[in-house]
Amino acid sequence: MRRSLRLTAAAAALGLTITACGSTAPEVSADGGGLGTAESPVSIRVIANDAFAKQWQDQLVPEFNKKYPNIKVSVDGVPYNDQLPKTMLELTGPTPTYDVVLGDDSWIPQLAKTGGLMDLKADVSKWTDAGYDWADFNPTPLAAGQWDGKQYTVPVRSNLLLMFYNKKLYKKAGVAEPTAETTWEQYFADAKKLVQDTDGDGKVDAWAIGTYFTKDPLTPTVWQTVLNSNGVALLDDDLKVAFNNEAGVKALQTHVDLLKYAPPGASTYQFNEPLEAFRQGRTATMLMWGSVYKGTAVDEASTTLKPEDVGLTTLPAGSAGPGAHRGVWSAGIAKKTQHPAAAWTWLQWITSKEGEQFTGNTLGTFPARNSTLDGTPAAEWAAPVYEALKAGYAAVEKNKMWRPRLPEADAVQQILALQTSRAMSGQATAEQAIDEAAKEITELLKSKGYPQ
Amino acid sequence: MSVSTRTPRAGADKAPARGSGPKTAQRFRLGEPGTAWLFMTPALVLLAGMLLYPIFYTLWVSFSDFDLALFEPVGWVGWKNYEMVLRDPGFLESLKVTGIYLVIALPLQMILGFAIAFLLNVEWRGRGALRALFLIPMVVAPVVAGGVWRMLLDPLWGVVNYTFGLVGIGPVEWIGDPTLAMVSMILIDTWRWTPFVVLIAAAGIMALPGDVYEAAKSDGAGRWQTLWRITLPLLVPVMAAAFVVRWLGAVKMFDIALAATRGGPGNATNVVNLYIYEKGFRSLEFGSASSMATIVLIITIVLTYFLFSISRRLENRW
Amino acid sequence: MVSTAAPAFGSRKTGRARLGRIATITAAILVTLAFLYPVIFMISISFKLPKDIFTVPPKWISEITFDNYVSYFHQARILPRMINTIIVAMGAAIISMVAGSMAGYALSRMRMRGAGVMGGLILASRAVPPIALVVPMFLVARKLGLTDQYITVILAYVTFLVPYVVWLMRAFFKSLPKELEEAAMIDGCSRIGAFFRIIVPCSLTGMVSTLIFCIILAWEELLFALILTNDKAVTIPVAIAGIAADTEKGGLWGPLAAVGTLTVLPVVIFALAVQKYLIKGLADGATKG
Repeated sequence: MRRSLRLTAAAAALGLTITACGSTAPEVSADGGGLGTAESPVSIRVIANDAFAKQWQDQLVPEFNKKYPNIKVSVDGVPYNDQLPKTMLELTGPTPTYDVVLGDDSWIPQLAKTGGLMDLKADVSKWTDAGYDWADFNPTPLAAGQWDGKQYTVPVRSNLLLMFYNKKLYKKAGVAEPTAETTWEQYFADAKKLVQDTDGDGKVDAWAIGTYFTKDPLTPTVWQTVLNSNGVALLDDDLKVAFNNEAGVKALQTHVDLLKYAPPGASTYQFNEPLEAFRQGRTATMLMWGSVYKGTAVDEASTTLKPEDVGLTTLPAGSAGPGAHRGVWSAGIAKKTQHPAAAWTWLQWITSKEGEQFTGNTLGTFPARNSTLDGTPAAEWAAPVYEALKAGYAAVEKNKMWRPRLPEADAVQQILALQTSRAMSGQATAEQAIDEAAKEITELLKSKGYPQ
Repeated sequence: MSVSTRTPRAGADKAPARGSGPKTAQRFRLGEPGTAWLFMTPALVLLAGMLLYPIFYTLWVSFSDFDLALFEPVGWVGWKNYEMVLRDPGFLESLKVTGIYLVIALPLQMILGFAIAFLLNVEWRGRGALRALFLIPMVVAPVVAGGVWRMLLDPLWGVVNYTFGLVGIGPVEWIGDPTLAMVSMILIDTWRWTPFVVLIAAAGIMALPGDVYEAAKSDGAGRWQTLWRITLPLLVPVMAAAFVVRWLGAVKMFDIALAATRGGPGNATNVVNLYIYEKGFRSLEFGSASSMATIVLIITIVLTYFLFSISRRLENRW
Repeated sequence: MVSTAAPAFGSRKTGRARLGRIATITAAILVTLAFLYPVIFMISISFKLPKDIFTVPPKWISEITFDNYVSYFHQARILPRMINTIIVAMGAAIISMVAGSMAGYALSRMRMRGAGVMGGLILASRAVPPIALVVPMFLVARKLGLTDQYITVILAYVTFLVPYVVWLMRAFFKSLPKELEEAAMIDGCSRIGAFFRIIVPCSLTGMVSTLIFCIILAWEELLFALILTNDKAVTIPVAIAGIAADTEKGGLWGPLAAVGTLTVLPVVIFALAVQKYLIKGLADGATKG
């Protein structure tokens, strides 16, 4: 027993020392750790999403090393669902394991607020290459890396919520293909016709739509886009709830109404299910992240469709313009890194014109630079996709179509996800769900010290 | 039985009611408490060493503001986090959901598990292989299991609804409907964990002394009588242990709910550990998550103690 | 269902009993198949092309591909992670078995003041929600420079395996005849000697079952593995979670099923290898011999 008592004491002491240690990291040398030499290379570690960590390690790093052979880069992958807490834990250590961290669109304010990220336009500017063209970035993806007036991260994998459509099913139903001008009213009128019997056996076997409907933080992005495209924001400039009104109810109701034209069981659709339904030719449209285009229209092993069958455009328009929703992965540098120069060199290279064209052409990653978007992509199928991306970027820019730029963004999305799910399954009406969500978000923001 | 006078812990004497060897053990008990602690030491040191600080930390966080920049609790806020949590309808709902799930799933798994264990106990060549194969549902990673079941139950392409459709039923919204989502979650959990009960029950049945049956048979006891009067009473300790272990596992369940239903629709299948997990790891609300964890810890301890007394009483009754 | 199982204990070879036996065996096989159906389904999709998985109506037979196994074997670093998983699961299971069965024995057979409280405390330690443990454990491990190492993951798993082992083994020891160790101690064995030489071999069925349970729990654990490891000690469940949550390509059910199938294999092979202990209770033999 005495032993365990001593252990308790030791554990408690440990706890105290842990809190006491704020900054024991040694000073970084003036050259930012340098870029390494053949004799003593510099090593940096990157924490990324498992979905592309290995791809980066195997294809991107060797290409980078052709130019910078003395910077050794190792990329660790973390499963998406727990990447944010894992990154937060790693970032807040006195001597961080990782020099470069990646974040999804809504995480950047949370990561930045820990104080663990460098301001890329100030802290590392002395190592910024003269040819690194900040102005060439499209403002929409670049904004994903900004918070509180600073540029904490740069876009490495851009993405947008867009509308995919199956041209064959549109033709079969005798409906004109959607354009950027198609409104939600027009879309719903078409949707009725797009629920159809394609093989003439008397049973409906194709539906109009598949998208996120289940309880998931990404599900509300669909009606958030509808809301934004009507010129209404989720939170106003004073960070007060601005969706607890007719516009909010209408937006959520639009999302709920889509369910009527979706396949049976669509209320459980998350990311994979609408994708599979669309790839199988079961749904005429799909509101989905653009990055799935290659697997949906090009890769024969994963899809029954061909590039000429698949159209890509913005979401139907509201009163203020067409819709899209930003989902950009961006990367930043850990404040306590010992190798800021090498880390920034690596990041600059991936996000340079050269690096971006390489990732776009080799990995199929969507670009963030206007020069890449306006250039000619290596793959033929990519040209119309880039056009849709440009239109999407413009729509996002115009109506601020992104998740709240708050450190509490994910907590807000959780609340919206729950209430959206209640509305989808009929446990609440759209009014009740919006009202409840507004109340909970107000409560949350109040508890975090925002004046409400 | 006269043995109950030997030690105050009658439970310890509940050796199977077999024969009556000479009770010579008395003299070896001298100095036993010391040996007993020696036997307990490795487990206690491991548990105390690994758990005391985390529990202390959780308590501390639950009474503080949590600073995400340091990942440390700062400032004492008293009961504020607890007050917020107790006013949180989602948390209370998740406790209710957990209760419903436990009350249905646990007895179901216990009964099914012991019944199947008896079934698998018949002596034949394939017995060992069946028992080994029966473990598989437990081994499939929860994420994969949840996904596979989602596919099986999908109204559009799922095999289950396809089969139902052949006889004109459906399509049934197994996961989209709040009530059926709970049914599905219990179904998947039962599929996954009944094999554990089977594993333990089979081992318990195996360990039963054979001569008891011979005695029973020579007394002319029927099968049901043998089962009720001899087999089941002898299995009580194993049953109780399997139940307690399953109970503790089930209280913490969140992986299957996350993979299969995501706690939805609404909060229909949002078990409390999933709720805490999402509060902590998705919303990064570690203060409330820690208060919830503490509340759940206390409730679990109280209920575990309750179950533990019942099981000891049961062990002693037979 | 239950009543027909009784012949297992006796061996009445009457015609009716034999019929009952065949019926029971058939029922046993059918129940096992029913429980294995989702697994069979998983294996079947692991050999399918992605486009053949989500078909209406479901396709029973389609073009067979090994691509799911090949492509992600390298991509998700299956082999090193499998080795990590084996090391971690075996390490945690063995440590837990030793510490847990000793404590279980003390609780079941020894006189001890506060045994009830101690037993209760050990059980209660399992009631802490995992999310409350994982963050502080990570902070301590980082402080000690022990993140991404086997020992950290093993010790974390030991904490949740030990209470289970204590409780299961306590029950199994209780069902052993008391004369066993009494006889051993008359032969001059100490308590500890009696435990290792007599008690352990006699409760092998229970021990092997508990060991398998421990291995399985450690085998599929995700949360601790994910937070406590980075690269060198990453286990298979983390790899699986990564594939499942692929936010880029989507629809990775083929690879996921393939990796899922590969994960199940070692445990099944292990269980088949030790199945004789799952069947043959040695307690009887020992007491009779």
